[in-house]
Amino acid sequence: MDRSPVIVTDGLTKHYGRVAALDGLSVQVRQGEVFGLLGPNGSGKTTAIRLLLGMLRPTAGWGKVGGHDIWSESLEVRRGVSYLPGEIRMYQSMTGIQMLRLLCDLRDGVGLDRAVGIAERVMGLDLRRKIRTFSTGMKQKLALSQAFADPVDMLILDEPTSALDPSARGLVLDLVRDARSFGQTVIFSGHVLSEVEQVADRVAIMRKGRLMHLEEMSERRRLRMLLLRFQDDARVAIPRELELTARDSTNGALLFEHRGALQPLLAWLASAPVADVAIGTEDLQSLYDRFHGANAQFEENGA
Amino acid sequence: MRGFLALVAKQVHESRWMLGMSAAALFGLGWLFVFVTSLNELEILKMLASEEGDSRMRWMRSLGVAESPSSVSIMMAFWNHPFILLLLSMWAIGRGSAAVAAEVERGTMDLVLSRPVSRTAYLATHVGVALFGLVMLGGALMLGAAVGVHYNVLQQPPGIVSLFQPAVNLMALGLPIYGYTLLASACDHVRWRPNSIGSALTLGGFIAYVVSMIPVLENKSWRPYLEKVSIFKAYNPVELVTTGESLSRNVGILSGVGLGCIVVAFVIFARRDLPTNS
Repeated sequence: MDRSPVIVTDGLTKHYGRVAALDGLSVQVRQGEVFGLLGPNGSGKTTAIRLLLGMLRPTAGWGKVGGHDIWSESLEVRRGVSYLPGEIRMYQSMTGIQMLRLLCDLRDGVGLDRAVGIAERVMGLDLRRKIRTFSTGMKQKLALSQAFADPVDMLILDEPTSALDPSARGLVLDLVRDARSFGQTVIFSGHVLSEVEQVADRVAIMRKGRLMHLEEMSERRRLRMLLLRFQDDARVAIPRELELTARDSTNGALLFEHRGALQPLLAWLASAPVADVAIGTEDLQSLYDRFHGANAQFEENGA
Repeated sequence: MRGFLALVAKQVHESRWMLGMSAAALFGLGWLFVFVTSLNELEILKMLASEEGDSRMRWMRSLGVAESPSSVSIMMAFWNHPFILLLLSMWAIGRGSAAVAAEVERGTMDLVLSRPVSRTAYLATHVGVALFGLVMLGGALMLGAAVGVHYNVLQQPPGIVSLFQPAVNLMALGLPIYGYTLLASACDHVRWRPNSIGSALTLGGFIAYVVSMIPVLENKSWRPYLEKVSIFKAYNPVELVTTGESLSRNVGILSGVGLGCIVVAFVIFARRDLPTNS
């Protein structure tokens, strides 16, 4: 399905003195997709999100959300976006229901019934209690209830499951899937790769303020990893039409990525002087480790 | 509009105890100073008429209390009491630092400004509630004095109209204190710094004013400069009830400084980065 981009950035940069918190981010997020944003602390995820919401002023580059400039038309941007901060801080003296009412009033009073419904029935919160009596996870549930209740086109969730128990994490992933089915665009920033893998349509991996890798998850799910060892370590020419891409070579074993059709590959394997073969998949962790693992290999120039 | 009103309600809710207790204290002080005036009026008049008198009389003369003062001008000498100035300053500094720096520090700014609320509207709610508080505080002092006049015997009981001008002058005194604290707050991300800046400027101004009034320093060349740098020079309730001429000048100076700082705070806040609290 060809979907138009709702978030577009070009060379988006934020410097603090000599430190580049975000360096030349150019990306497009399409309408109705779940866009996973991955990277360790300090990789620029939160800076990118805060730039999109107009909380930070770009040092260079530009961005548009829903066709509105992220800095000069920030108010219009925020009309169409609901944001869940990474660290939830609320007014401690308010009760849960007062907090939801305030947040709804700041959006012209819409979405309160839905927010209360999600908070009470899905998240199991007692909204009569003061926020100061809530645990961190309960505060996160309250903020999530509000975010998913807002009648907006886009959700920006910064580590939405960081303080939640496993069952609540599952609920959040279900709500993200629901949001996508309603046509909402979701930016899902997180550290738990398995969660991002479950819900994301595309993932972006960031490192030191730069976008290092961008990939369609459907492509990743089609990806096969092929480990081959040829007889007598023979040097065999690989036909180009097989769409095999060499990744690594260790002690005569060759590691390939395969994204093409399966039948030609199997036919070629049957005829080639193969001593040993192993075919598997690669999870998101393996991809992530290419940029952030102990033996990280990456190009500083980015994706 | 609904969002704006919701923020106003939140600010009022947050500051209700401080405002309520300060207003109650000022109401009580207004009444108390009438009571003290009624008890000591004849004695004060006698001492002011003579060339002698203790340090309190010299202080009252330096504030502009004439040799044959009216009851209201004696009352107004008490309106320079540090308790009154302290309560007003606490409100102005507290609300000024709460507007931006405190919200950034505790992380609640994200909560509000991730919603469709403009920074200008957000700050306007803070400024509106702070100014409302200044009016409440000045009004409470005036009301306390008016009620006190009703229940105490004075040689020349003043009407509420003659209390109005000093009350307006007091409200205006809060404006620059709020203004420069808000300006510091609009640039910052921790609350202690604008609190310290606001307190230091206010205390410094008060000390400068007091030093400029010390009789032995009257002929010093730097004394007029010291007087001019203090906003407290533009707060003179005694003069207002005696001559009634300086209200527009005093309020003009105080409002000019205060509103100037507030406008600059709006500009800075609209253009600054809002960092996370972590």
